[in-house]
Amino acid sequence: MYEEPYRWVEAVGNRRQYLDDQLKEGTPVVGVAYERGILLMTMSKGTPKLYEIYDRLALGGMGHPADLEKLRFNLLEMAHVEGFNRSVSDVTGSRLVKYGITPAIKQAFEEVFKAPFIVKILLAELGKKSGKDGFLTINYDGTFEEKSRYAVLAATSAVEEKMMGYLRQQSIVSLKDAVDVAVRSWAVGDRAQRSALEDGQGHDEARTVPDQQVIDAEALYTHLRRCIAEKTIECALLDRHVQGPSKYRALKADELRTMLPTDLSPSLA
Amino acid sequence: MQGDFYQLLKEQGYVLGSSGQAGTGQELTIATTILAFKYRDGVLVAGDRRATAGNMVMYDRTDKVLEIDRYSVMAIAGVPATAYEMARILEHSFKYYRRTQLQELSFEGKLRALSKLLKENVAAALAGTGAVAPIFAGYDAGQEAAKIYFYDILGAEFEGVEYAVSGSGSSTIRGILHYLNTWGEQPLNAMPEEQATVQALRLLTSAAEFDSATGGVNREAGLYPIIKFITGSGVRMMPDLQLRSLFESRVSRST
Repeated sequence: MYEEPYRWVEAVGNRRQYLDDQLKEGTPVVGVAYERGILLMTMSKGTPKLYEIYDRLALGGMGHPADLEKLRFNLLEMAHVEGFNRSVSDVTGSRLVKYGITPAIKQAFEEVFKAPFIVKILLAELGKKSGKDGFLTINYDGTFEEKSRYAVLAATSAVEEKMMGYLRQQSIVSLKDAVDVAVRSWAVGDRAQRSALEDGQGHDEARTVPDQQVIDAEALYTHLRRCIAEKTIECALLDRHVQGPSKYRALKADELRTMLPTDLSPSLA
Repeated sequence: MQGDFYQLLKEQGYVLGSSGQAGTGQELTIATTILAFKYRDGVLVAGDRRATAGNMVMYDRTDKVLEIDRYSVMAIAGVPATAYEMARILEHSFKYYRRTQLQELSFEGKLRALSKLLKENVAAALAGTGAVAPIFAGYDAGQEAAKIYFYDILGAEFEGVEYAVSGSGSSTIRGILHYLNTWGEQPLNAMPEEQATVQALRLLTSAAEFDSATGGVNREAGLYPIIKFITGSGVRMMPDLQLRSLFESRVSRST
């Protein structure tokens, strides 16, 4: 019955609704550049959401773990084979995304008889110099966007906009700034997402949270305190100052502890 | 099995080395001197810088002590083209394993990976176009110790409990190492870093004395051997400046 164009468009539309629904409880992911590199941050319940892809590439994802794992493997395979056959410098985020995984994601999304990937992906790429760092965000339909300085993933584009709006007002220099801004932006997103769920509305629901409330840092910390009772803060870095070619490292709990307000740190482990 | 980079390469049609006809090659020459020994804090790995083709010196700035990852080093003797290719495969294999499996490849796993490459390369090794006899040294996190292994060109793996040598100059220094370790003022594994470095420089200088395919120190050009240390905190290279001052004060007989 999908041979008719109208039916096909309708099926794809249904699919969008299905995917939005699947992703609505997903945890936001934040990526910010700071003077020494890039910080990726999210909160997770056990399963990690941040991964090393190549020497200067890291990935943050939300969605179904099995789908994320599949795409992560695709990226790893492409990056390593390319890095071996050509050179490390030829492995770039934009090539992997544009010619590698987004065509596959788009195809899976549009082939209405097959299962789509239930994922959103953020790929961070460390530049050789400060100011050259970049981000690529990929949606479940295969569309992608390139960003610099910061990027986010969240359940809906309204929530993402809210987080980006918050990030736009922040200034980040040190890693400590980056961690602080990242957790607060995450709280902005998570709060907006939760209130949208409670309201049970469509895509524009996030705007119902008054902006004044969002900007208040203390309110965001209060929200974070509530979240870390059940989740763990996960942070990973692409750090230009790490020795050797691989620049990825996870930010360990004790290091993170020194960067957060004390009442946020005990439940990091 | 997941996480095997070499398997992935082969699936994509990659073949290591050229397959020659076994047994038809000329006499195998492995022109180089590389050595590794255990000193007080870990393992020292050193190699001269010369690459030769028959009687000709091809290059005097070769780096034969290759860092494969933060905790392991492969020193190469033999056909450089094949050796560098193996080093690149290993480097990518270890990274690929760590990133896909979210854990480091074990030290045994790393040794096995090199052994496998050497075995796959036997035909080229016997044909004389791809013989490699490397030393692999690394920090074994499981046993909290730095270790040395050496290989023949067919892929047999031996542990160098105290030291290992390879290359055309190795026969000269093997005897010296045995003598030093047995009757020297202190055994090799008790030597502090500086003392170990001095011994490594003296050993390579001795090898260069008797083996034309081993490059010694070239002070005019500022060329010193490559010396790397492996300890629990990873691989570190001795800078040329320090090598020069140690060479001038404790190795050279003429100033």
